Amino acid sequence: MSLRLLNQNAEVLNKSAALYMNINAAKGLQDVLKTNLGPKGTIKMLVGGAGDIKLTKDGNTLLKEMQIQNPTAIMIARTAVAQDDISGDGTTSTVLFIGELMKQSERYIAEGMHPRVLVDGFDIAKRATLNFLEQFKTPVVMGDEPDKETLKMVARTTLRTKLYEALADQLTEIIVNGVLCIRKPEEPIDLFMVEIMHMRHKFDVDTRLIEGLVLDHGSRHPDMKRRAENCYILTCNVSLEYEKSEINAGFFYSNAEQREKMVAAERRQVDERVQKIIDLKNMVCSGNDNNFVVINQKGIDPPSLDLLARAGIIALRRAKRRNMERLVLVCGGEAVNSVDDLTPDCLGWAGLVYEHVLGEEKYTFVENVKNPYSCTILIKGPNDHTIAQIKDAVRDGLRAVKNTLEDEAVVLGAGAFEVAARQHLINNVKKTVRGRAQLGVEAFADALLVVPKTLADNSGLDTQDVLIGLTAEHDKGNVVGLSQHTGEPIDPHLEGIFDNYSVKRQIINSGPVIASQLLLVDEVIRAGRNMRKPT
Amino acid sequence: MKEIVTIQVGDFSNYIGSHFWNFQDELLGLSEEPHGDPVFRNAFLDMDVLYRTGETQQGIATYTPRLLSIGFQGSLGSLSSCGSFYDETSSSDPSHVITWTGKITRQASKPCKKNLFLKSLEEDEHRPPLLDSTSVREDYSESEIQDKDRVECLQNCVEFWTDFSKVHYHPQSLYELNGLWTDILEFDNYGIGKDVLLSCSQGEEMKERLRFFVEDCDHIQGIHFTVDDSGGFSSVAADFLEHIADEYTNTPVLLYAARGPKSRMDENKRQLVFRALHDSVSLTKLSSFCKLMVPIGLPSLSRSKAATFLSIEDEKPFHCSAVYAAALNSISLPFRMDAFGSSAASNYFSGAIDMGGLVYMLTDQARQNSVAILDVAMPSPPLTGEERKGSVLQSLHSLTPEVAEDIEDAYQVETAVIHGAIHKGGRRAAVSEVKDSFYEAYESFPNKPLFSHLSVTQSPLPIPLPFPSIFGSHVGPRGELLHNPIPDSQPRGSLNIHSIPMAARLRSSNAILPYVEKRLTNLQRFGIDRGAPGSELLRSWGFQNDEVQDMGEVLSKMAMTLKPHSGMSSDSE
Ligand SMILES: Nc1ncnc2c1ncn2[C@@H]1O[C@H](COP(=O)(O)OP(=O)(O)O)[C@@H](O)[C@H]1O
Ligand SMILES: [Mg+2]
Repeated sequence: MSLRLLNQNAEVLNKSAALYMNINAAKGLQDVLKTNLGPKGTIKMLVGGAGDIKLTKDGNTLLKEMQIQNPTAIMIARTAVAQDDISGDGTTSTVLFIGELMKQSERYIAEGMHPRVLVDGFDIAKRATLNFLEQFKTPVVMGDEPDKETLKMVARTTLRTKLYEALADQLTEIIVNGVLCIRKPEEPIDLFMVEIMHMRHKFDVDTRLIEGLVLDHGSRHPDMKRRAENCYILTCNVSLEYEKSEINAGFFYSNAEQREKMVAAERRQVDERVQKIIDLKNMVCSGNDNNFVVINQKGIDPPSLDLLARAGIIALRRAKRRNMERLVLVCGGEAVNSVDDLTPDCLGWAGLVYEHVLGEEKYTFVENVKNPYSCTILIKGPNDHTIAQIKDAVRDGLRAVKNTLEDEAVVLGAGAFEVAARQHLINNVKKTVRGRAQLGVEAFADALLVVPKTLADNSGLDTQDVLIGLTAEHDKGNVVGLSQHTGEPIDPHLEGIFDNYSVKRQIINSGPVIASQLLLVDEVIRAGRNMRKPT
Repeated sequence: MKEIVTIQVGDFSNYIGSHFWNFQDELLGLSEEPHGDPVFRNAFLDMDVLYRTGETQQGIATYTPRLLSIGFQGSLGSLSSCGSFYDETSSSDPSHVITWTGKITRQASKPCKKNLFLKSLEEDEHRPPLLDSTSVREDYSESEIQDKDRVECLQNCVEFWTDFSKVHYHPQSLYELNGLWTDILEFDNYGIGKDVLLSCSQGEEMKERLRFFVEDCDHIQGIHFTVDDSGGFSSVAADFLEHIADEYTNTPVLLYAARGPKSRMDENKRQLVFRALHDSVSLTKLSSFCKLMVPIGLPSLSRSKAATFLSIEDEKPFHCSAVYAAALNSISLPFRMDAFGSSAASNYFSGAIDMGGLVYMLTDQARQNSVAILDVAMPSPPLTGEERKGSVLQSLHSLTPEVAEDIEDAYQVETAVIHGAIHKGGRRAAVSEVKDSFYEAYESFPNKPLFSHLSVTQSPLPIPLPFPSIFGSHVGPRGELLHNPIPDSQPRGSLNIHSIPMAARLRSSNAILPYVEKRLTNLQRFGIDRGAPGSELLRSWGFQNDEVQDMGEVLSKMAMTLKPHSGMSSDSE
């Protein structure tokens, strides 16, 4: 979307004022997000006007909660949020990197350098960095038996940037197992097949992986069992609710008796559908004490519920569309759209189905299944913001594991990659560049350091000291990152600090694109909000 | 039981909703009042149609609107989005953060202060029940001063729709869109709201919340949908309607597309084109995902005939929305008329109809027109005496903009609701009297509709305390029209007026033709014709040429069905 569109009544600024406005906006946004980065970052508690609370350590969530008005900042924010949509992580780093590219450029521009030249340098540096990433990344083999230890380390690295260590570590295994559960050979991983469900529970903070499905509703009939073992599962999308036909709705032209007849006939059709389900139940459950559960995407009205209950069937209505898919992956069988083609083959199986009630909230657990390709991560927490916090972390973790499986590679974290890439640019790439574009390469290289610098800063360390220590080690040929505790160089490999390859790649790719656009701006449209307040 | 789920999208529709739920809340209160007016106690209105029973985790039973309200981030004012009932009392003390042991910063936006009215509501609730008994209530003088202050405070300080709401909402009900990064003033066109629902988390959340309320229904009769279609919420609603049509295919939707008072003038040509195209696109898209759509919102309500007995300040959404809400309430009464097996019920109401029946009647009987007109008489005039024949019909005036008047339409189909009607002296009219007088009036009326359905109940519109003072000097305490105006010329509100007899009507008529045609011509002129000034704009909203062509066809078909002697459905002649 072009800048112009964002604001219709904008006022045009001249070029250099525009450029400085862009730089300032980028720096401003960087300032806001800076403290979020890494395992020593700050969590932000946002209290709304009505006193409601949002908690976030996540750059992505923070950006969405902010009411950003500045068009440049909006552009950066959109890029950062897109970063998260595409790769699942790295929002904060993106904002910091763009901010730093602008900040570094400012120095050179102040000395009279043309932005065009810088942008040329960015371009060269970007390509060189991407190439460098290819050789720097750590390949991991993800065949039939994926390297679980690596997956756990990647998951743990992201989780620890969102939750305190003990909590993060508790989730690591859950997340890795969750993703491995839904992974099918030769198929892309669909993370939607990991359901994330939450329960508000006054005293309990707990997260569990359930190899099965948890639905956020229960049966709607008092006589239906709340707990059943050895269950056939019928997953269907069939209306079991009386719906007045259109002809019948036009009753103004027919008499009452006709109408009654028509209603009765239409009711009968619904009953017949219910009967077909009951017939199937009787067929598979006769002579054994197995149970029968219907999970329907459409409605089930009380008369139908009555019939089903009398036949000893447990029935849930209005299941999420996505749960239709999940159920089949969990229990087997297939989702049916009509009761006409019901056969025992359509049915899935679960060893245990039970209901859990908390106030007006009901949950149905479908567990003890044979070979599930879908599962549920169940989060318990005392209030919405705690739950949201854990949920965000779980999502990040899932993405990190999925990325690793798909990338078949990881990247050493804790600033190791950024320092290595910077040294590579300065020591090897810069000299191959002719003319002043060299300075663009240099600006880019220095901008990469924003990550280790901020990590150090957030740990309360002296950034200069830390950077000198790191670069010195790298020049000696040791790939190191910084210790969040001491700032001393550490081997991220030994510490198990790994980031996603695709996340890094995306950051390197998108950062300079936006920065270049902002530098090459001819004119900037300034928001003219104050010119037309409502009366 | 046949439940209705209500959806409100956008600020003005939430204003309307706020009044609407205040009416319901008032009705609930009045029906429980032991010494109250029997007409409210025996209203035979099944409130379960609109409300759901629930329970907090502490085991306290709740009764809250079956409502999903979508608004702009920050539009809830001093009301927390989790509502007020299921209060989690979560602390904003940073030391309570249990997921992070590192540094914590706390950033608080300026607290939104509750106004006097809201504060007094809160105090009322915390007052021990003993004090609430009637004996204390009789301590007149004191409470009256208080009420006066409350009313006055609302007259001047309503900033958010929550400022005058006395209703408790379910925590799933209030949803704020975030991450839009636009000023509410810039969220003003169809294009800008287009991707909101696609943004994975927001769309999912809205759909999930709707599902929550639908799952709860034993047998949903329909969805009562109001959208503020003046800006980006129009496309949010259109996408949501598309989802509803897809997921709840046979569930009828009654859609009101509402416009608040105009906040700014369109100064230049560009803006005119911009607004015109928005209106055209909005009508096309919204109407294509529902069977019946009712545009409401006059450019100047105060100067309209509908406000003959009212004193409205056009620029106040608080004022205007009250009138639309009253009309919506009237139309919704037949959906919840219930005899509860009582044979005496027929003395109190007649003409129950469910939402599906109403939608079908208006859209499928004579011609396939899906855009209806809303008329209202507020208050509805007394029905007495020879000389007043036809007065209800004559006092119904449109709340739908740009409709033709005095049109002759042999295919008009309508459904009217009259409730709380009174005779000249103030005596409440019997249901049969209302019916007789209505059909009698048509006898002498030149333009008879092809078909007319009438619902009647005895219970009038109750005027809750936070209702704005918008009644003119001809309106008496029970909504009767006074022969001599009350000398003090101040507009009157809930302190003086307790209830209002109402009439409202939905009509499917070719009187809507100018409304449709204007949008058709504008789309052609500004968007389709060669060199059209707005084609670039439409593209920036994400519409390719062929899609714009399609929209043109939808609108011209819509207009065709309305043209006299053409586009009649084949079976009628
Ligand atoms: N234990 C650790 N020590 C030092 N740095 C770490 C550690 N864990 C993660 N990091 C670094 O933190 C950064 C990610 O921080 P995070 O807050 O998740 O921001 P983003 O939103 O950019 O993903 C990465 O650069 C990663 O290498
Ligand atoms: Mg991260």
